[in-house]
Amino acid sequence: METVLEVRDIVTRFGADAVHDGVSLSVERGEVVALIGGSGTGKSVLLKEMIGLLRPTAGSVHLLGTDVWQADEEQVNGLRRRFGMLFQDGALFSSLTVAENIAVPFRENTDLSERLIAPLVGFKLSLVGLAPETGDKTPAELSGGMRKRVALARALALEPEILFLDEPTSGLDPIGARAFDALVRTLGDSLGLTVFMVTHDLDTLLSIIDRVIALSEGKVIADGPVAEVMRSNHPWIREYFSARAPH
Amino acid sequence: MAVAQRWIAPELESGANVLYLQGHWRLTHVPGISEEIEALHLAGNHCVLDGSRLEELDTAAAFVLLRRLATLGCIAGTIEVRHMAERHARLLTLVRDRMATPSVASPSSHRGVLQRVGRASVRTGHILRAQASFLGRIALELVDLLRWPRLFRLKETVSQFEVVTVDAIPIVALVTFLIGVVFAYLLGVQAQRFGATIFVVDGVGLAICRELSPILVALIVAGRSGAAFTAQIGSMKVQEEIDAIRTLGLSPIQVLVVPRLVAIMTGLPLLVFVGDVTGIAGGMLIGAMLLDISPTAFIARLHVVLPLDALTVGLAKAPVFAAFIAMIACHMGLTVARDARSVGEHTTSTVVQSIVWVIVLDAVFAVVLQRLGI
Repeated sequence: METVLEVRDIVTRFGADAVHDGVSLSVERGEVVALIGGSGTGKSVLLKEMIGLLRPTAGSVHLLGTDVWQADEEQVNGLRRRFGMLFQDGALFSSLTVAENIAVPFRENTDLSERLIAPLVGFKLSLVGLAPETGDKTPAELSGGMRKRVALARALALEPEILFLDEPTSGLDPIGARAFDALVRTLGDSLGLTVFMVTHDLDTLLSIIDRVIALSEGKVIADGPVAEVMRSNHPWIREYFSARAPH
Repeated sequence: MAVAQRWIAPELESGANVLYLQGHWRLTHVPGISEEIEALHLAGNHCVLDGSRLEELDTAAAFVLLRRLATLGCIAGTIEVRHMAERHARLLTLVRDRMATPSVASPSSHRGVLQRVGRASVRTGHILRAQASFLGRIALELVDLLRWPRLFRLKETVSQFEVVTVDAIPIVALVTFLIGVVFAYLLGVQAQRFGATIFVVDGVGLAICRELSPILVALIVAGRSGAAFTAQIGSMKVQEEIDAIRTLGLSPIQVLVVPRLVAIMTGLPLLVFVGDVTGIAGGMLIGAMLLDISPTAFIARLHVVLPLDALTVGLAKAPVFAAFIAMIACHMGLTVARDARSVGEHTTSTVVQSIVWVIVLDAVFAVVLQRLGI
């Protein structure tokens, strides 16, 4: 197995607030990993540190063999083409149509001609289960679930090796959320993607996740397959899983 | 001339087209791959994809391949896959399944000049109609306010008044003062030729009080406060705060629009008065410096030649301008769509509409007052 993401001894402080106090974790190629933790435990912050958006106070992040916080801007940009990021509310560009949103990474990062981009955009839309007509709409006209799918299509445009997801099912109804889970898993398996997500959704954990990493009080308190983490004695984990304990 | 077989090597083996895929079939190579497969020709529609020489495959490359094969007549049933690594085979299957829906070319979005003009006119008509009905809604709410004065939000109104009026005094004073200077200078240069410099006082007094100060102040307030109203209310709309106000049983018009309307309608005449004073002061400065009119003489002359009408007409126009600015700004804010871009568009539109309306209204005033002999 090849390690594609390695986070070592991350410390994060905002002023006097210590968010992370030595967080270490690693992800192997092809895994689907979830990061869980209570509100304010710095899950999204950790995600931003992994993809080079926010500098940690101390510690290192190795992504696809590159040290994200030691590399120069050019190396990081090269790296950015090799992973995709799905932001919580999609973060689609509101001034562009759906099709133009998906075409952005093709236009900016490849030499493809417009004649090739148009069918590829259509294909990416159907890859995430949307009708080609959706391409002509603006993001404001889409439902929350559709916005996430479009954002997923945009994140997948450059054929990334790793996909980062920030709360992929938040704001979706249970049916939409499960459909999105299934989509992520199918695409992950078929494309050989490594998926790393921050989530609150227990159903996601129980259905598509290979491994769970739990964050509490600035440290990793559990790391392992779902069934194993569920048996942990840590009070926060017990409370978390008892919220949906089988009766 | 045959294209170099870098990515794909077609061979005929016992009547079947065997396509050897070679190398790294990745997105970055898609332009080259696509050029090569465009030149591909098949005998019959049965083909075999051989993956024994394939290093990598991604969805974009698989998509262009399967799309080309489909146009050559090879569809799902007639494509056979062999010696393919499992992950590649799985990816091919996924792409084949998902590309079943044909991608339609998006309709051309180019519009002719005539169509653009037509659409813009229809849109303007819609906006005008919507604004007329918004005016009606505000009128109804004001009637409610007369019946239940407790609905009036004094605190909000006062805070808006402070922002709209008090905070605008420096910029209003500066702009009208400079216009007073410029206007007096231009008039003075002309009047000097005829030795009639004292008439500069008449011109400056009349022009500033009756026209320049009201118009300039209205334009400043439209740009400053009108834009701010639209942006504030618009971002509240995006955050669903307007809906929240409604579900709490409150009327957005009472909560948001009436305080702003009252603040701007009371504030604008006061600002116009400030503009009158500073504008005349600007004229006075030029009079004293270049035209030999001492401030005492200037004021004495002003007493004689500036009719009270000129001042009151200027001040009376202000609330009308103000009402239009407030109504346009609040209406544009309340009709923002649920995205960030729309807030910007509506804010720009508020400023443009306000400016146009202020000028139009001023022209109407000029004609009507002329007829009335004021």
